[in-house]
Amino acid sequence: MVAGAWICLLAPLGGALAITLFGPISRRVAGYISTLTTFLAFAGALIAFFGLWSRDAEEREHLSTAYTWLAAGDFQIGFEILVDPLSAMMMLVVSGVGGLIVWYSMGYMAGDEEERRYFAYMSLFVFSMLLLVQAGNFLLLLVGWGLVGLASYLLIGFWHKRPEAVAAAKKAFVMNAIGDATFALAAVLLIWNTGALEFSGVFEGVGGLSSTTVNLVALGLLGGAVAKSAQIPLHTWLPDAMEGPTPVSALIHAATMVTAGVYLLVRAHPIFEAAPDIQSLAAILGAVTLLAAGLIALVQWDIKRVIAYSTMSQIGYMFLGAGIGAYGFAIFHLMTHAFFKALLFLAAGVVIHHLSDEQDIRRMGGLKSALPRTHVAFLIGTVALVGLPPLAGFWSKDAIVASALARGDALGWTLFVAGLVGVLLTGAYSFRLYFAVFQGKPQEAETERSHAHETHGEGPPSMLAPVGILAVLSAIGGLLSIPGVWHPFTDWIEETGEPLVEATTGQDYLTSAISVALGILGIVLARGAFLRDRQLVTAPSAWRIFEHKLYFDELYDALFYRPGAALSNALRRRVEEPVIERSLDEIGSGTILASGGLARVQSGLLRTYALAIAFSVCVLIVVFVAVR
Amino acid sequence: MSGPGVGWYLIVSAALFGIGSLGVMLRRSPLIVLLSLEIMLNGANLALIAFARQLGNLDGQIFALAVMAVAAAEVAIGLGLIVAMARRDMALDVDQASVLRG
Repeated sequence: MVAGAWICLLAPLGGALAITLFGPISRRVAGYISTLTTFLAFAGALIAFFGLWSRDAEEREHLSTAYTWLAAGDFQIGFEILVDPLSAMMMLVVSGVGGLIVWYSMGYMAGDEEERRYFAYMSLFVFSMLLLVQAGNFLLLLVGWGLVGLASYLLIGFWHKRPEAVAAAKKAFVMNAIGDATFALAAVLLIWNTGALEFSGVFEGVGGLSSTTVNLVALGLLGGAVAKSAQIPLHTWLPDAMEGPTPVSALIHAATMVTAGVYLLVRAHPIFEAAPDIQSLAAILGAVTLLAAGLIALVQWDIKRVIAYSTMSQIGYMFLGAGIGAYGFAIFHLMTHAFFKALLFLAAGVVIHHLSDEQDIRRMGGLKSALPRTHVAFLIGTVALVGLPPLAGFWSKDAIVASALARGDALGWTLFVAGLVGVLLTGAYSFRLYFAVFQGKPQEAETERSHAHETHGEGPPSMLAPVGILAVLSAIGGLLSIPGVWHPFTDWIEETGEPLVEATTGQDYLTSAISVALGILGIVLARGAFLRDRQLVTAPSAWRIFEHKLYFDELYDALFYRPGAALSNALRRRVEEPVIERSLDEIGSGTILASGGLARVQSGLLRTYALAIAFSVCVLIVVFVAVR
Repeated sequence: MSGPGVGWYLIVSAALFGIGSLGVMLRRSPLIVLLSLEIMLNGANLALIAFARQLGNLDGQIFALAVMAVAAAEVAIGLGLIVAMARRDMALDVDQASVLRG
């Protein structure tokens, strides 16, 4: 069982190294190595999962230490992995969805000049993400945390000849570095105050800490989670990250890496439970993000950006769930979201591939007839996203919203309402996208292309098979947890984190009824706007605000970039040029002048030197005698 | 202990040293400068030996032998330089050999 977990962790690393080191392999071989090692990791994850499954509930936590990594006095950190229900579930999601997406990449990236580099990065990413979810202590978790950031940076900037891609990669890295820094500070506080970093030691020690310390630690961890999961206020990098290849968006910026923040909230739940204010803050940030991202998604024109904002919005739901203590449902939504969001991105990838890299939905339309299978898959993903029964999103999203209702207090009601408004927005923006892409009349771009016989068809089997599998998973994945009837999934996660709130069956039915009604209302609105050829947001001022993404980029530009640049420029003009540069010149010329004067003493006359020596000795003698 | 006291030896030694240093400073022929250097060294040697005898300690005498060895080496180099100068038809005048002027 533990061996399975190690296989799961190390197989993708082996794949990345093999592609990097066996230099002259063909591009296809690189793709096969990457795909097979990722599926090998999935097999390892299955072994670990079923190994755990066959044990008793009390014996489902295994810490396996490979060796002592760092030792400083009594403080020791091992290279250790933790196999428990939560990490086993995350291993399955990461390696399973990851394997499908890497497989899809073989079709999508075929013919790209640097496929080998692409697959090496993908394998590196899968390894990093698995390290993140399997880490047995906060330090190793932080290592995985940083490595996924690196892999994300490398893959966003994969097309490094495009300046926008490079800028987006840099932005993602900088925003994530802020989160990494707060996470590292929290880890330092933990070492300082509890003397341990492995999860069990920290969680035992949390009770004995002062409330200030616990709050600071929780805040630091939340900062890391917010940056990684693109929640307000550190969210601005995610839409720009869509500059990367579409499978990268599917794997890193939808299914796995951006959900790492949710994983952290659930993994470190004893710390957050000791700091309830911070935990509520996480829920509030999630609610704000899910609303803001939903509104912005209403006005975007880029097919991938709409899905990216939808991702932010859905992760907002997960934060909401983790923040109110519905850990099982947060992870459940993480899993179903990984299915349907990866499906949406991959289907969007088929569309983009078909249209030769066209991403603007104004130049799309009527693709239903050209891409029938993709159309069905995309529709399944969209309906699952909106949350209509019996598709996946219905079960997981409604459970989170119902848990907010079950919380009961003012915050719970606010979150409940925010979650429901979010459902309405989801229905509107996702069906706006669906109608614009697949319904209506084919746009000029498409007709031109079909006249010129330039279409790529639906794509090779390696692209369509993963889309099909994900469509099936999106359709049936939600059946793992049916409130009041059958809930093996949440029972499984409960062993890692007991939920703080539990909705009654009545609350569940009420929430589901309202949210399905709102989702359908959103769809009707989108359809009405589409049929009348109007936009969903009609007020021009609101349109402008959403189009500028609520002015976050402008705000950060004004708050951080401009003062920083102005300060640097002022320092250059006032300090660097007049003081440092000039003083260096003056030191140089002064030295030349002084040495010119000193050179006269060196006359080359031997007898003068002898005289100088004799005279100096006499002076020394006199001084010596006088001092004594 | 018989014979003149250590003071007399020191007077002779200082006289030798003074004569030698005047020679180094005043004469211009490199040969004479070398000779004067030898006189200075021997003045110092005399003082060393005088003190060694007075203190009944052999260290000073041994040190004088060492000085003689160094002096011999120094003369060998100095004479070598002078021969080299003479071969190049340079004037044997230390004031004119001032190419190292700064």
